[in-house]
Amino acid sequence: MGRPGRIGLGLVAAALVVLPPLTGFHPYYLYLVSTALLFGTVATSWNLLAYAGQISFGHAAFFGLGGYGAALASLAGLSPWLAIALGGGIGALGAAGIGLASARLRGAYLALATLAYAEIWRGVAHNWTTVSGGGEGLIGIPPLPTLGWLPLDFTRGRAGSYYLSLAFLVVVVAVFWGMLHSRLGLAFAAVREEEERASLLGVHPLPWKILAFALSGFFSALAGGLYVHMVGVVEPDLIFSRYFSILPLVMATFGGLHTLLGPAMAALGLYLVSELLLHPYVPAFHQLPYALALIVVVLYLPGGLSGLFTRKPRGAA
Amino acid sequence: MSLNTLAQALVSGALLGCFYTLMALAFSMILGVTRALNLAHGDLIILGGYLGYWLWSGSGLHPLFLVPVAAAALLPLALVWQWLFDRLPEPRELSSLVLTFGLSLLLQNIMLALWRGEYRLIASESLTGSLTLGGLRLNQGRLIVAVAALLVVGGLFLGLTRTRWGRAVRATSLDRDAAALLGINVDAATRTTFLLAFCLSGAAGVLFATLHYLYPAGGIELTLLAIVLTIWAGVGRLRSVLVAGILLGVVEALTVAWGGPRWRETVVALMLLVSLLARSGGLARGWSH
Repeated sequence: MGRPGRIGLGLVAAALVVLPPLTGFHPYYLYLVSTALLFGTVATSWNLLAYAGQISFGHAAFFGLGGYGAALASLAGLSPWLAIALGGGIGALGAAGIGLASARLRGAYLALATLAYAEIWRGVAHNWTTVSGGGEGLIGIPPLPTLGWLPLDFTRGRAGSYYLSLAFLVVVVAVFWGMLHSRLGLAFAAVREEEERASLLGVHPLPWKILAFALSGFFSALAGGLYVHMVGVVEPDLIFSRYFSILPLVMATFGGLHTLLGPAMAALGLYLVSELLLHPYVPAFHQLPYALALIVVVLYLPGGLSGLFTRKPRGAA
Repeated sequence: MSLNTLAQALVSGALLGCFYTLMALAFSMILGVTRALNLAHGDLIILGGYLGYWLWSGSGLHPLFLVPVAAAALLPLALVWQWLFDRLPEPRELSSLVLTFGLSLLLQNIMLALWRGEYRLIASESLTGSLTLGGLRLNQGRLIVAVAALLVVGGLFLGLTRTRWGRAVRATSLDRDAAALLGINVDAATRTTFLLAFCLSGAAGVLFATLHYLYPAGGIELTLLAIVLTIWAGVGRLRSVLVAGILLGVVEALTVAWGGPRWRETVVALMLLVSLLARSGGLARGWSH
C-alpha cells in the first residue's frame, strides 16, 4: 500500500472511531453502520476462504450458527462476551465440518454444497423447535453489558455494539494481513493455484482447506453472535437468510477478490448506499446495487472470479 | 402409517414427479449446451407463475390456456440470458453460478416490487376436486398438471430426437467444437435451446402456481430440485430425467407423509448435498441417449 493509501485508510479508520460522538450516539445510524461493519467482517472472512480457493455460497450457515450458539448461551445465563466467543467456536466447527465433508468437491460444486448446507441449517432451525424456538425463534437476548472503566456513552446501547463490530472488523483484517505475510498465505495460495502440484511438493491440501474454512467460519460466526445481541432476537429466516450468503460474496468480489481491504470497503459502501440512499426512496429496489455489482464484476471487471484461477492475486503484497 | 396412506403418497408423489421432470429439463438443457448453471432457474419459474396468476385473475380464463401465454412471455428474457451467458469468463460453471446468483436476486426484487410479498395461488375451481380410483384419491389438479407436463416432455422428446434442430441441439450439447466442425450452426442451436428452455420454465410456472402458493423468494427450492434431478439423471438424458423426477416426487411425498410438510425444503437441500458428495465429478456430460 502506497503512502496516499495509508493516509486514506487512517482517515477512514479515524472517522469510524469518532463517528458515534459525532452523530450524538444516534441509535439508528449506529445500528446501520454497525451492521455494515459486521458485513465487512463476514465479507473479509469470506475472502479469507476464497484466498484458499474455496468459493462459498453458504456463509449464512456460519453466521447463523454463531447467532444461534451465542443466543442460546446468552439465554442460558452466560455472559454475552463468552456467549459470542462460544458462538464463534460453533461456527468454526460447522465450517470445518462442511470443509471436511466436501473435501473432494471443487469450484461450482463446492459452492452448491455450501448453498445446500446453509439451507439445511435453516431447516433445522425451523424444525428443531425445542431448542431453536422454531419459526418464531428466540427473543429476549440481552444487550452487551456496559464496561465500568470506559465512559458510559461509549459502551451503552448501540455504541457498545458499534465499537465491538469495529473491533471485529479490525481483527479479521489483521488476521488476513497476517495470513498474507506468512507461510499460511503461501500454503493457501498453493492450495488455490495448483492443488495437485502443492500436494506433490509436500503441502497436503486438505488440512489447509479445513483450516481456511474454520477461520472463515469463526469470524463470520462472531459477527452472527454480535448481531443477535444487537437486535435482541434470533429467527431462522432472519439469521440463516440467504442474504448473509449473497452479500459477503458480492462485497468481496466487488471490492476485489484476495485484496486486504477491498471487501470491507465494498461492504461499507454498498450497504450504506443501499440502506441510506435507496431504502428510503425506492424500498422495493434497495437491493439492486448488490445484483448489479455482481453482474458487473463477473462480466466486466478484470481480476474477478477468473483471476482466482488464472492470475496472481492482486494486492497480495 | 397405513398401507393406504403409503399408496396414496406414492401416487401423488409420482404425479408431482412428472411436473418436476418438466421443471428440471430447462435447467439441464441450458447446462448441457452452455456448461452454465442457471441459479435463477427457479426464479424464472416463479416469474412465469406470477404472470399466469396475473392473467388468470384479470381474465378468468382456464389456467391451462395461460400456459402457452406465460411460456411466450419469457422469450425476451431468454435472449437476455443468452447474451449474458455468451460473455461468461472461465471457469464457466463457477462464474455462471455467481452471475445467476445476482440475476436471481434481481428477479426476486422485481417480483417483490410488482406483486409485493403476498402469497398467490391460481385457485381455479376447475382444478379442485378429486377422483377416486381403486380406493385411491387422486387430486384432480395434480393429475391435470402431470398429464400436461408429460405431454410437453413427450413433445420435447420427439422434437429433440426427430427433427433437424433437435439433433443440432443435442450435437451441440454433446461436443460443441465437433458439432461446429461438422457444419452445425452451434449459435443457432444455442439460441434454440435458450428459447425452448425459457418456454418450458414459463409453462412450468403456471402449472406450479396451480399446485403451490407463489412467493418471490420461493424460487431457490425449485432450483435446488432441478439440480438434484440433473445430478441423478445426468445431463440430457430425457428418460432418466423422467425416472429421477418421479423418484424425487415419491421421496418428497413420503417425507411429507412421515414428517409433515415443514421438512420438505430441508430434505431437498439434504438430497442436494448428499448427491453432490456422492457424485463429486462434474455435471455437464452432454446429451446422450
